[in-house]
Amino acid sequence: MKTKKFLVLFYFFLAFLILVSSSSTYAGSVYAIVNCKVVPVASSAIDKGVIIIRDGLIVSLGPSEKIVIPEDAEVIEAEGLIAYPGLIDAHTNLFLELPKEEPAQRQRGMAPQEKETGRYSDLTVFKLLKPKKTTIGSYHKIGVTTVLVAPKKGIFAGQSVLLNLNGEKAEAMVVKNSVALQINFTRARGVYPATVMGTMALLRQSFLDAKHYHSHKSLYASSSKGIKRPEYDPFLEALVPFILERKPIIFTCNNQEDIKRALRLIDEFKLNGFLSGANEAWRVADYLKKTPLFVSLHFKPPITSIYVNKGEELKEKAEKEIYPANASNLYKSGIRFALTSYGLTKASDYLKNIQKAIKAGLPKEEALKAVTIHPAQFLGVNNIMGSLSEGKIANVILTSGEIFEEKTRVKRIFVDGVMFKIKKPPEKVKAPALNLAGKWEGTVISPMGELDVTMELEQEENEILGTITSNFGIWEISDGILSGNDLTFTISATIMGESIDMEFSGKAEEDLIEGTFSFSSGSAEIRVTRVPTSGF
Amino acid sequence: MKKKIIPIFLGFSLLFIPVLASGQNLLIKNGTILTVTKGTIPRGDILIINGIIKKIGENIEAPEGVKTVDASGKYVVAGIIDSHTHIAITAGNESSEAITPEVSVRDVLNAEDTAIYTALSGGVTMVHTMHGSGNPIGGQNIVLKMKWGLSAEEMIVHEAYRTLKFALGENPKQSNFFTATPRYPQSRMGVNAIIRRELLKAKNYKEQWDRYLKAKKSKKSAKNLIPPRKNLRMEALADLLRGKMLARCHSYRADETLEFINLSKEFGFKIACFEHASEAFKIAKELAEEGIGTSVFLDSWAYKIEAYEGIAYSAGFCTKKGVLVSINSDSSERIRRLFNDAAKSMKYGGLTEEEALKLVTINPAIQLGVEKIAGSLEVGKHGDIAIFNEHPMSAYTRCDMTIIEGKIYFDRAQYLKEREEEEKKKAEKEKKKKGEKK
Repeated sequence: MKTKKFLVLFYFFLAFLILVSSSSTYAGSVYAIVNCKVVPVASSAIDKGVIIIRDGLIVSLGPSEKIVIPEDAEVIEAEGLIAYPGLIDAHTNLFLELPKEEPAQRQRGMAPQEKETGRYSDLTVFKLLKPKKTTIGSYHKIGVTTVLVAPKKGIFAGQSVLLNLNGEKAEAMVVKNSVALQINFTRARGVYPATVMGTMALLRQSFLDAKHYHSHKSLYASSSKGIKRPEYDPFLEALVPFILERKPIIFTCNNQEDIKRALRLIDEFKLNGFLSGANEAWRVADYLKKTPLFVSLHFKPPITSIYVNKGEELKEKAEKEIYPANASNLYKSGIRFALTSYGLTKASDYLKNIQKAIKAGLPKEEALKAVTIHPAQFLGVNNIMGSLSEGKIANVILTSGEIFEEKTRVKRIFVDGVMFKIKKPPEKVKAPALNLAGKWEGTVISPMGELDVTMELEQEENEILGTITSNFGIWEISDGILSGNDLTFTISATIMGESIDMEFSGKAEEDLIEGTFSFSSGSAEIRVTRVPTSGF
Repeated sequence: MKKKIIPIFLGFSLLFIPVLASGQNLLIKNGTILTVTKGTIPRGDILIINGIIKKIGENIEAPEGVKTVDASGKYVVAGIIDSHTHIAITAGNESSEAITPEVSVRDVLNAEDTAIYTALSGGVTMVHTMHGSGNPIGGQNIVLKMKWGLSAEEMIVHEAYRTLKFALGENPKQSNFFTATPRYPQSRMGVNAIIRRELLKAKNYKEQWDRYLKAKKSKKSAKNLIPPRKNLRMEALADLLRGKMLARCHSYRADETLEFINLSKEFGFKIACFEHASEAFKIAKELAEEGIGTSVFLDSWAYKIEAYEGIAYSAGFCTKKGVLVSINSDSSERIRRLFNDAAKSMKYGGLTEEEALKLVTINPAIQLGVEKIAGSLEVGKHGDIAIFNEHPMSAYTRCDMTIIEGKIYFDRAQYLKEREEEEKKKAEKEKKKKGEKK
């Protein structure tokens, strides 16, 4: 087997790469950010201020004349820049790599059983994290220091984790683990529940079971004499704190009926429930006064929406005007909310869509609160982040102008006191000479042998997005730019559980892309050709 | 063609109907009033106050500020009720299992289903929207008023019976016959057996709870009494056995219909109605004796093996034998012409106009347990009304206006006007576009 032999070699080659490419970060530095405007969010702005960062925390902050700059501090001249707290994105699926699951099957002739799927409540998403440098970079670029990573698969999807994007080591990033239980109104294929009405029944049954399990266990613990020992159940064991001790549950709501479904469950079982997604929240605003809301910046109406079923014209209006006004309408109804990137495919859309929400009537200050202090409060971490003040985590961004202005860029970002410079976007980008969208296939030729790959590309003006698929899995393309015929992009490849960054640079033609992948210790050639689309 | 036109032209303005509290005031003047239960008033008025019919009679004056609808030359009828349909929901069958009484269509309502508007255009004010017939024991159904533009919550009719869908025959037995994972049951005997098995389980479950509750009440109750596990699947069936829920059973053949009646006697639960019941005429006497109704198509038959012996005369014949019959749509298309189907029972079965009209008004109301609020025009009932241009049992009739609780939800003239304007606007836009291109 030629390929097998090659794979072994390739593994060795890559293992070598991993050894030489891992880098370390240093969080012990002292920084003095001077001469910038400071917008702490929870207190009033300082026109010319200083922020002192030491050991990952903000140790002092105030007007320039009042703050003494420590001798050991590295001074960051920030005149003309504005300092904001790092933004918090409270619903992402970053860094998640889910193992492929075999579709559940019922054997022929088997009697039906109470088979149930989608129950991962004991799963803490931390175990699935595979941080990627390019992803972190793309979030730094938009000023996000902190993300809530929620599991996305299944009904009881698992428990989310709050991360500071301070490097590439998952352990070091964790701010808070097991933040909330994520519940999706999804359904299973082939097994119970196949419909959302089944999902609702499953949720109710599980909540009841958790209560029953808990009461049986407590009774047994108080006097085990004469009481049958309850059977240990890891699923219910994990569920109990969320049902009986009011640990937060976040319901992903993809349409207004999901919101109402979640509210019914919250009410029936007296849950500490939060809603996420909720891009139709304004339509059910009357019901929402009390429930913490993580509102998605995704502006596409759900398929059940009347705005989809009434022709193209209305659909377009919905995407451009009606759904972007969600946040503004909620604000007008006196509802507090956080804004999230849930449902967006590109990190850069996060800022763009905040701008759209502002254009649709959301006050700028409110937009800022919705990505700083509000999510911090909802997640119970407002004592350590979400605003700038002494003693808080040094999550600080320096921007070239007022945040959410179209021309404003994030210049530097501090996460847990670790400083990151933001790569400048390529300056002289030519108009793209062609459209690369579509499927491509070909080979990567490395010193160790050949690897068959397929690429799926999408193009939006100069921007290139997509994936590369090979025996090693699916790798995502980021920072892709097509300038004339010059194509560059980066990928964070995960190989044997480790991530390796590779940069591609090459030429693109109508049916051929050729170029070089370079990584810290070598390079490989790639040549792919376009897969013709069928005429049907 | 119609199906296509409706969603497109539903009218953008209709979309933004302001959400008003239902229950409005309205005076309908000078129509021929078919009360369904209390005869006909050749030229009369109906006054609705806060959604409830306050007065029916002649020469009623409109109180100050009450809107008036002129129904001169038209027929004012109780809103049509569809006893069996599947509109306004986003799921049909919980087909993963054969026994799923714990699921409820309440959890998948879709207030934005355009079929609601289609229903209104056929004078329908209330529907019983149901779980599908794929499972021997399906799910729980719900009764809705067609308050287009309001939320699902505001459409629910809380006065109605709680009902549970059962299904016999071809559908449950074949429902995943051709899939990779066929399931038990695959025969009529299997369907009967699995229902019986589950009811036995439910009986045990209910008795287990009864014992627990009794033990808890007794003075000598053990301190360490653990309640049984609440099982929603069994709980739903136990509610059926407790009489808190009624069975609605999809059933075609006479033999299995009788078998199901036997099951209901064995376990002591109540059947509200048999669905489709194409062989009902063979067992009309038994149905009448047991007080079980049927909800049927008037003249659809032979569309599948178990419907071969259906006849158009069945609805009329059964009515004359004392069975409570209703005509259902089962679909979002037939729902706009239920009155036509009801009228066919005059030709096939020899019912009178009054009897025929009952098949889509008071009879389904009784089947759903809402006869105190709907199904006929009587003082004290809800102001749910359809206005027809001709007698609703005429072949030439059409619905001109549909009113629920005093509020006009469908106005044919208004709708046509809006549609025309919409078309005009569109044409102008196209023209402009073409002009720009040139």
